[in-house]
Amino acid sequence: MELYAPILVLAVLAAGFAVFSVSVAPFTGPKRWNRAKLDAYECGIEPTPQPVGGGRFPLKYMITAMLFIVFDIEIIFLYPWAVAFDQLGVFGLIEMVLFIVTVLVAYAYVWRRRGLDWD
Amino acid sequence: MGETVTFWVLAVASVAAALGLVFSRKAVYSALMLGVVMLSLAVLYAVQDAPFLAAVQIIVYTGAVMMLFLFVLMLVGVDSSDSLVETLRGQRFWAFLAGLGFAVLLALGFGNVVFAAPTGLAAVNQAGNVPSLAEAIFTRYVFAFEVTSALLITAALGAMVLAHRERAEAKATQKDLSRARFVAFGETGANPASLPGPGTYARHNAIDMPALLPDGSISQLSVNRHLARHTEELLEERSGELDASETPVAEITEGENSK
Amino acid sequence: MNTITAPAIEYLQLAPLLIVFGAGILGVLVEAFAPRYLRRAMHIPLTLLSLAGAFALVIVQTIKGVPTKPSAMGAVAVDGPTLFIWGTILVLAFISLLLLNDEDHFVPAASAVPGSAEEERALIEGNVHTEVYPLALFAIGGMLLFPASNDLLIMFVALEVMSLPLYLLCGLARRRRLLSQESAMKYFLLGAFSSAFFLYGTALLYGYAGSVDLAKISTALSANVGQDALLFTGAALLGVGLLFKIGAAPFQAWKPDVYQGAPTPVTALMASGTLVAAFGALLRVFWVAIGELDWDWSPIMWGVAILTMVVGAILAITQTDIKRMLAYSSIAHAGFLLVGVVAIGDAKQNATALAAILFYLAVYGIASIGAFAIVTMVRDAGGEAWHLSRWAGLGKRSPKLAGLFAFFLLAFAGIPLTSGFFGKYAVFQAAVAGGAVQLVVVGVVASAVAAFFYVRVIVLMFFNDPAPDGPTVVLPSWGTASVVGFAALATVVLGVFPQPVLDLAQSAAGSLFVR
Repeated sequence: MELYAPILVLAVLAAGFAVFSVSVAPFTGPKRWNRAKLDAYECGIEPTPQPVGGGRFPLKYMITAMLFIVFDIEIIFLYPWAVAFDQLGVFGLIEMVLFIVTVLVAYAYVWRRRGLDWD
Repeated sequence: MGETVTFWVLAVASVAAALGLVFSRKAVYSALMLGVVMLSLAVLYAVQDAPFLAAVQIIVYTGAVMMLFLFVLMLVGVDSSDSLVETLRGQRFWAFLAGLGFAVLLALGFGNVVFAAPTGLAAVNQAGNVPSLAEAIFTRYVFAFEVTSALLITAALGAMVLAHRERAEAKATQKDLSRARFVAFGETGANPASLPGPGTYARHNAIDMPALLPDGSISQLSVNRHLARHTEELLEERSGELDASETPVAEITEGENSK
Repeated sequence: MNTITAPAIEYLQLAPLLIVFGAGILGVLVEAFAPRYLRRAMHIPLTLLSLAGAFALVIVQTIKGVPTKPSAMGAVAVDGPTLFIWGTILVLAFISLLLLNDEDHFVPAASAVPGSAEEERALIEGNVHTEVYPLALFAIGGMLLFPASNDLLIMFVALEVMSLPLYLLCGLARRRRLLSQESAMKYFLLGAFSSAFFLYGTALLYGYAGSVDLAKISTALSANVGQDALLFTGAALLGVGLLFKIGAAPFQAWKPDVYQGAPTPVTALMASGTLVAAFGALLRVFWVAIGELDWDWSPIMWGVAILTMVVGAILAITQTDIKRMLAYSSIAHAGFLLVGVVAIGDAKQNATALAAILFYLAVYGIASIGAFAIVTMVRDAGGEAWHLSRWAGLGKRSPKLAGLFAFFLLAFAGIPLTSGFFGKYAVFQAAVAGGAVQLVVVGVVASAVAAFFYVRVIVLMFFNDPAPDGPTVVLPSWGTASVVGFAALATVVLGVFPQPVLDLAQSAAGSLFVR
């Protein structure tokens, strides 16, 4: 159980902060209602407009999303390796470097093909 | 004892959230409900002495997949509804029947299982859960682990092939754009300067409030046309306030540089 | 702090796999760093050489002697059947890639809306998605690992590595874009669904046996008594996942749609390589892991085999699209192969059945690539002439091509003097020896029904008048021509003189699967 104690403390802190901010805001903040407040992004970026009857929306988010997931999975493999690094020794290091280099190939591909440019 | 209590609390929470996920009308609520289900699962894994799985559940599912759902939902517009026309007649009925049959089959199967006492957990976790996993990954499953990278590359390749558009020509620079604006000004008289900024008032501090020109009229160009739904309201409001017979709308033609 | 000793990995045994995956990664690097005009020129030798090299290594391994125990800490089993399957897949993949080399099968810009100006411009500029080469290599790598995995977890990873690139490749056909995208979507959704079944079955078997190692599951069968529900449910779910990949009824629904929509070279790769790989994996799971349980699973497998043969043969008759017809024919063939899976008995009987299946897989794979290669050559204005009525009278216009196609169809039907005859004969003979006589009767009847629609196409080609605006037969590239030539030659030679390959299959199957 003590394994999770720091996480628990952090979770309590986070929850406390969230509850505090949300419950205090109505009393302290000014209330100026307008319809823009209901937008997903109040700063003015519209959600991609949907044509009537469904339609197409830009897919460029997908590349970002996919790369994010790819490297997220990589992190998952790094975690046990890092914890057991001392016991794994050189072999573990070689295998991990091999893995990271292979995944970096995908990154190099996306980068060189301008998949990371946003325009 | 503690485990049982946690289980029952989380069981109720996660089943309720799962039902909410299915029955909620708003997609964002469904996504958040999914987050609750995933977090409950993570805690259940942790209680079952599987800290690694709990971490993976939070990092990958709650952290990445879940946030991507929200991201996409927000960008796509949460209120878009799907076409509900069924192309296969009666498929819901048969799908429901098949699903029910499968569930009954599984329930009957597992209802009769006499589970042997679980063994091996203590032995496996003796060296620590995560180091033991590292041992499995880097010995017997090292080949599978390396092959997984092929899967990740395929995912990146697929995203690029299906979603990335290669530029046919070079992207226009600031200089090109500016030059084009002045050419347009010379030819058609379109305003080459930037559009007026939005108006900000004491009562409304949102970006969709149009600016007022010196004569008190409203500049429709000052608001992004996607957001411009307030202009009409404001016109009505102001016509009452000012008691003016005419509320002229400024006439500046829109240039190339739309907001 | 105990150190973890590095695992002993037999790199030489795994070398074919490593070469194919390595070439795939190099292919991605080519995509990343080579200028556009050089990419194809670099991919072609890289891809073909790696497959040839892997094939050479398989031969070296065969000559050096078949390993008697699994490699890589028992995770990958490079045994006799695996080596034969590897050799088969590599040959099939090589000729499929020759077909894939032809430029105009793939869409110039997959992200463009079908029929849009953007797509048109990409076409005029001569864009090509050369990513298909590394993707195909990854798929082939997965196909090699899938039947060789000695562990359900590795089998699952291999299944995904094999399937994911194929889902993508299916959606890249240049013509009939919407159909292609639809096929990719359907294949992806149904494939993901079947993977979930596979994984659920794996989890339940792990719960039963405490291990995902096939050999350990097998030993647990005699030790763990009283948890049969877990075992049966797990095995059934695992079977669903595997039978889906084979396209056995009632999990065949994806096959016609996907075969129809995918670019024809990819269809050829799936109809040959994926089928071989999936059968290898199915045999390993059903014969090694739950082989002792054959009293329980063979009645179900009987049912599945009969249903698959009947569904494939009967629905093929009603098809009007040439690729859909070949897809249903592939389903029927999966049924014939399942007859061999059921013909289980003592070790000698198993070896006979296994050899028959291996031979059948090899000859069917080659013939089906040949048939699909010919489909790519018969063109209308809008691409391949897919409608069967368009093929009417083709025998009068280009007798050579129509003759070859008729020959492949006869091989599918199993007419003597074609390789298909010996394939079917071997499998049915093994099944009779294994006591599955009724199944063989159904198989023969289904073959007769299947022969009906093959012959119908032949009659259509040779005895009907050609339409005035009929399709044209394009002059094949050297790749396509050599594919058709090789497939025809192999089908003839193995139809007249099958003994060397049969012997090879028998010696490969003699040692059965290692445990």
